[in-house]
Amino acid sequence: MGKLEGKVALVTGAGRGIGQAIALLLAKEGAAVVVNDLGTGLDGSGADTSVAQQLADTITAAGGQAVANTGSVADFDVAGQMVEQAVDSFGKIDIVVNVAGILRDRMIFNMSEAEWDIVTAVHLGGTFNTVRHASARMRAQKSGRIINFSSVSAWGSPGQPNYGAAKYGILGFTATLANSLGHYGITANAILPYATTRMIDSTPRGAQFAQEHGGKLPSELAAGTEGDPANVAPVVGFLSTDEAARVNGQFLGVRGTAISLYSHWELAAVLQAERRWELSELIEIAPETLTPLVGLPEAVQLPGMDRPARGTAPLQADPASWQVVMPGVDMWERRGYYDAKGRG
Amino acid sequence: MGILDGKVALVTGAGRGIGRGVALLLAKEGAAVVVNDLGTALDGRGVDTGPAATVVAEIEATGGRAVANTDSVANYQAAEGMIQQAVDTFGKIDIVVNIAGILRDRMVYNMTQEEWQAVLDVHLKGTFNTSKWASIRFREQKSGRLINFSSTSAFGAPGQPNYAAAKAGIIGLTLSCAAALARVGVTANAILPTGTTRMIDSIPRAREAVAATGKLPSELAEGTEYDPANVAPLVAFLASDAAQPISGHIFGSFGYNVALMSQPKIIKTLRSDHPWTVDELCQVIPHTLGPEMETIKSETGFSQKINAVPAERWVEVRPGLRYWSAQLEPYGELTW
Repeated sequence: MGKLEGKVALVTGAGRGIGQAIALLLAKEGAAVVVNDLGTGLDGSGADTSVAQQLADTITAAGGQAVANTGSVADFDVAGQMVEQAVDSFGKIDIVVNVAGILRDRMIFNMSEAEWDIVTAVHLGGTFNTVRHASARMRAQKSGRIINFSSVSAWGSPGQPNYGAAKYGILGFTATLANSLGHYGITANAILPYATTRMIDSTPRGAQFAQEHGGKLPSELAAGTEGDPANVAPVVGFLSTDEAARVNGQFLGVRGTAISLYSHWELAAVLQAERRWELSELIEIAPETLTPLVGLPEAVQLPGMDRPARGTAPLQADPASWQVVMPGVDMWERRGYYDAKGRG
Repeated sequence: MGILDGKVALVTGAGRGIGRGVALLLAKEGAAVVVNDLGTALDGRGVDTGPAATVVAEIEATGGRAVANTDSVANYQAAEGMIQQAVDTFGKIDIVVNIAGILRDRMVYNMTQEEWQAVLDVHLKGTFNTSKWASIRFREQKSGRLINFSSTSAFGAPGQPNYAAAKAGIIGLTLSCAAALARVGVTANAILPTGTTRMIDSIPRAREAVAATGKLPSELAEGTEYDPANVAPLVAFLASDAAQPISGHIFGSFGYNVALMSQPKIIKTLRSDHPWTVDELCQVIPHTLGPEMETIKSETGFSQKINAVPAERWVEVRPGLRYWSAQLEPYGELTW
């Protein structure tokens, strides 16, 4: 008996990589799945309708329920049709997982309007489009799960102003969904994944990897490693269950078998006056108060990474700071976080 | 002698509200200012060349230098024109302040495509448009300031899925620009402002104020902690040479408070020596990540949080001026 028997899910970008692993797992747990994939190249060009159909066939052959959809999430009406296809094929929509995404990396000063538009339209616009239509249904049935894909690139990736803006925008959008849909029994959460997919193949490190591995791209050798996209799926499965009903508005990082919970935005420091600040006062006082806190953050370099990654403190923390939860499972906690917040 | 003598600034949405206050202060501190304002209604409809011209006249009347621009930041080529106008009129561009914005509030399940797109185009794409064209110049001259306006609404305002997404996206864009331009001496920061502008006049709470006083909230804000002009000193500070070490951060301007924000960061990590199953996660998460997962919320009300800081936690740095910090960071990663 699967954990998602009787549920109906839409997974966008489900033809390959992370989306594919999620669609397979949701189906294995008993959900009927609309497998959406436009079948485009990584940059969003072209289309291949066989990509979604193949996965739907694989799921059906294994005894699961799935239908293929090859529309683009960037199109408002087409996204509405995806939701309608779920309802027409399986009677309702319970779970929407927004994974579809493309890359057009470029430094801000060289980025074209088209590169900006297509990346923000697919990631941020695409996430809005499916949620807009699905949330109307979910509100009527008073239940639902929205799982959006963000990225650690949101924290400041120099060559990805478009992707970083879209992925940070998805965090804000998810927070809004959590705060507006919670009382209808709908949860909205965001995942910041790590996985060795064709997105990684496209980086300079991917090309170097291929040279060192007889022409094999990183994604071709990812199975069973930390970068296996299948590692991202169980968290999505968990968030989709009835047991996760009280998990709403959370940001979860997933890297291999490590699942990280993020804090949200908070006050770090405040300068307070009893009337408007004078510019001269800020210039005088900031160096002794704010400025020591705000040098450009040092990015973190992990072994074997082509560029620094933020949000990796636990992986670099003293091994002794990890505590065993049960055999084979341990947990790291930011020391003193709640003490500092005065929550004892 | 102003702090910004010799600098050239573009301020978008400078005809009214927060943008007007910023343009006036930058000019007072010696910057030459391109005062951009399309003069639209709050929902982005209509145009009026009056607001930009009025602010230019105000600046010139007090001996400052300014020129009006009435194009839309949502237009990529028009944004190029704004930067070009700064260069043609004043010789260069040093400071870009992205404030132009509109509202089309609606719950997500009722929002139209047009409401989504109009808000995204002005806020997020508008910020990209000016940043892109300015960053080319900044890179050549090896200096520059990007000061982008986000909002606490980005952290989860219920009836603003479009505005929240755009304002959060602006933070992501700002962080990317900060990382990309650090080596050429350019800084990029984001501000979450408060200020009783016509945006506030448009919300339900404003109708109560009109009923009680016969005036819109924005008409009563001048000289109070709700005065949109209170945001300007923080902008001028970030625009100044004194702020050269500060990049890639989110600041709040909440009334008479200047706040530095801490961004989401990992507080707990759960790890297994084998691939997880959904069943296992259902069993393990409730007593590991669970307590925080069920309590962390995205909140937008930071003024109340500041007011809740106990008096003894404030350090008086000058008479009437106080400082407080959260000291959340045992690993020395304060803001990310």
